[in-house]
Formats: sequence, structure tokens, C-alpha cells
Amino acid sequence: MTDKTNAASGETTDFGFETVNKNEKEGLVRGVFDSVANRYDLMNDLMSAGIHRLWKRFTIELSAVRPGQTVLDIAGGTGDLAAKFSRLVGDNGQVLLADINDSMLKVGRDRLLDSGAVGNLHMVQCDAQMLPFPDASIDCITIAFGLRNVTDKDMALRSMERILKPGGRLLVLEFSKPVNPIFEKIYDTYSFRVLPLMGQLFNNDADSYRYLAESIRKHPDQDTLLGMMEDAGLVNCEYHNMTGGIVAVHRGIKA
Amino acid sequence: MNTHHDPAIITAVLMAAEGAINRGLELDPASARDLADLSGTVLAIECWAPALEVFAIVEPEGRLHLTPYCEQACSVRVRGGLNDYLALTTAEDPAVTLINSDLEIIGNSAPLIALQTLVAKMQPDWEAPLVGVLGDVAGHQLANLLRQIFQWGEASSKSFRRQLSEFILEEGRLSPPAAELEYFYQEIDSLVLKVDRLESRLKRLAQRLKTPAR
Ligand SMILES: C[S@@+](CC[C@H](N)C(=O)[O-])C[C@H]1O[C@@H](n2cnc3c(N)ncnc32)[C@H](O)[C@@H]1O
Repeated sequence: MTDKTNAASGETTDFGFETVNKNEKEGLVRGVFDSVANRYDLMNDLMSAGIHRLWKRFTIELSAVRPGQTVLDIAGGTGDLAAKFSRLVGDNGQVLLADINDSMLKVGRDRLLDSGAVGNLHMVQCDAQMLPFPDASIDCITIAFGLRNVTDKDMALRSMERILKPGGRLLVLEFSKPVNPIFEKIYDTYSFRVLPLMGQLFNNDADSYRYLAESIRKHPDQDTLLGMMEDAGLVNCEYHNMTGGIVAVHRGIKA
Repeated sequence: MNTHHDPAIITAVLMAAEGAINRGLELDPASARDLADLSGTVLAIECWAPALEVFAIVEPEGRLHLTPYCEQACSVRVRGGLNDYLALTTAEDPAVTLINSDLEIIGNSAPLIALQTLVAKMQPDWEAPLVGVLGDVAGHQLANLLRQIFQWGEASSKSFRRQLSEFILEEGRLSPPAAELEYFYQEIDSLVLKVDRLESRLKRLAQRLKTPAR
């Protein structure tokens, strides 16, 4: 029902640079990730020449996750971060790997099984905008390269704030605005020309990767995202630029 | 925190150094056991000029974790300027120098000495992982530097201090980001080239397909 109402009201959102209907976007995003799920890790490595491992590692340091804690990795895709957290929280802790996309979770589960880290790990298929967890139940939430895919980012941030325990923290790792203009130019070339072609080569799916590149450009810059986190009720918000601001990690605390 | 440096670069260097140490430990189970005895030790190394803070955490399995960010309580914190650290690296007897130097040691110095002795004994291969991260020149220099730090006293060359301060003040600040950027640019350059070639090949192919067979 709501579907129709929204469609009728003509509420729109950005799908990359095409403006589409909000409901359509969820379907489109899912389509993009369905088609790349299997090759995603390979692509990820190629796209950022392995540098994303550094970004993720620093994000994990900032989480300061301790044994016994409950960690939720939203848009966790193929389980990169979840595997590390599983080791950090130990047997008394819990890691929830959440993603809207079933095929991403399947790839994640297989990979995590291979790495032997499953005892304290659970997969949850859900939407970042409506997280199906009790209020104040999570010590730490991470979302890495996922927020840009979410239709209503404010709604997602509020949903995250709700389920965090007081003092719990949210970490958002995301492409951002390069601080150096020359760098920005090169990066644009890279993301608009090279990424889609690589997508075509490896996956036969240039559209998916063009979408990724465009959604990077559409993502809010450092200070905008910081403001959005504050609006969602988080406190002590801060960010760290990495690799010239191509990527930033934002952190906020639940009051 | 380390606000003046790109966390991705510091992380890269620390990951490389950590990798070298932990690989050394894998090859030397006795040292790994000794290290495991220090499990839970958090050593903070703080330098105020250039401003940098690094933590070495001993993990239960006898591995070392190096990080630019840590919220755990430190067992021991060393604090000083670059020159104080330099003095330490060229000292005859590090333990004595440590106690008498201007370096401020907050907490128990025993695990600090134990750690240094352990890593020195292991002689990890710093070169390969650091060259991998920083490129030939800077990687080699930093590898040299680490070798000296962990074998302080043994090799106290005259020019070492000068070399070291040059590295940290010049290379250390400028070169890693430069190396990283350069690498990134190179990757892009070669990709753009490949893409261009591919595009024209595809076009030629398409053209050939379109041309009706005679
Ligand atoms: C670029 S991947 C990031 C994967 C992983 N976090 C990483 O850093 O490698 C983005 C992920 O976000 C998921 N996603 C997109 N929209 C979502 C939503 N509304 N809620 C939850 N996950 C979503 C996609 O299915 C995909 O797995």
C-alpha cells in the first residue's frame, strides 16, 4: 500500500545521477549488488588497489571494540569487518552481520565459514533504515561503504542511534570529498571512466560500476555527514580523512 | 591523536612493521612464547616533534599489534622529542640510557626493555614489507632505522643520528604520502592507457563485424 502511495506522491531520490522513484531505488540497488556479489571482493581490491584494507583497519582501531561486546556491521556485504570483529569480541561477544542483500550475505557466510570465524557471528537480512533490533542493545555499529547506497540516510542514522547503547559508538566509513582539487579531478576520471570499464571486463556489468562511481559523487561530504549524525542525536561526532579525503571515517557516540 | 598524518599511511607503515615482527615470531616459537608472557602489555610511544603516537599491544597468542589509536590503559608510556629517541638508538647500554635520558617513562619500564630485547634477538626482516608499502627509497631507510632502533648500542654509527633525523623530518613526513599518491597515479595512468587501448580494439572489432563480408 505504502508503495503505491509513495509512487503516486512521486517522491524521488538519486540513483547515481539518474533521479528515480524511491521504491525503485531499493530494487535497483539490490540489482546492482546481486550482479556483483560474487566478484565484489576482487573488484573491491582492484578498485582501490588494496588501500581499502588500510581504511578498514583504521576504522576497526577507532571502534575500540572489546571482548564481550555486541557489534553490528551494517551493509556488511561479504563480511570483511565482521571477521575481524568476531575475533575481537571473543566467545562472550556477538557480531551481527547485516545486509539488505541475500546473495551478499551468502557470499559472506561462505567466506566466514572458510576463515573459521562463525561461533559468535549471526547473519541478518535487513534494511539499514529499519533495523530490527531492540533499543539500546548494541555496543558498536559500523557501516563501511554502505551508507551511500541507502535511500533515506537520515532515517538510517536515526535507526542506528536508537539501537545503540548509551556510550555506544557508530562508525561510518565512506567515500568522501577529496581535499585536494587535483586529486579530485584524477579521482573523477578514475571513477567514471575506469571503474565502469573494469566492471565490464570483470563482470560484464558496466552499469553497476557506473552506479557505484556516481553514488560516490552523490554522497554527502565530510561536514554534511557530520551534521546528519548530529541531527540523528549522536554526540562527540568527529571524522578523520584518509588518503587525501577520498575516504573519511566518521564517529559519533550515543548520548 | 595523530592529527597531522594520514591515518591510512601510518596504518600502512605500522601494518608492515607489525607483519615483519609477527613473521619473525612465527619462525621463532621461543620468542613468541616469551612475548606471550607479556600478553596484555600496552606500550605507548609518544613523540611530540614531529607529533606522533604509536601503541604496541602484546596479544595473548604472542603476537604484536601496532596501532595509531588505542583506548586501553597503557602499561608504560614513553614520551619525548625526536632527539631523545635518537639518543636512545645510538646508546651503548639502552637500559641505562633509558633511565638517564630525557625521555619520560610513565609506568613500569620492565616490559619496555623486555620487548626491545626480544625484538632485537629476533632480527625480523623489515626490508621486504616496508619496501612493499613505501617503495624502495623510503622503505629501505625506514627498515634501516628500525634495525638500528632494535639493535641500539650494537650498531651506533656516527652518521646514523643525522640520517635518522633526516628520514623522520623529510622522508617521514613527505615521502610516504608522496609514494602512496604516486602509486595511485601510476595505477590510474596505466589503467587509463589499458582502457584506451581496449576501447580502440573493441571499436576496431565492432567495425570489422559491421563491415559486410565480401
Ligand atoms: C559497497 S558494499 C560494502 C560492503 C562491505 N561493507 C565492505 O566495505 O566491503 C555495499 C553493501 O550495502 C548493501 N546495502 C545497500 N543498501 C542497503 C540498505 N538499505 N540496508 C542494508 N544494506 C544495504 C549492499 O547489499 C552491499 O552489500
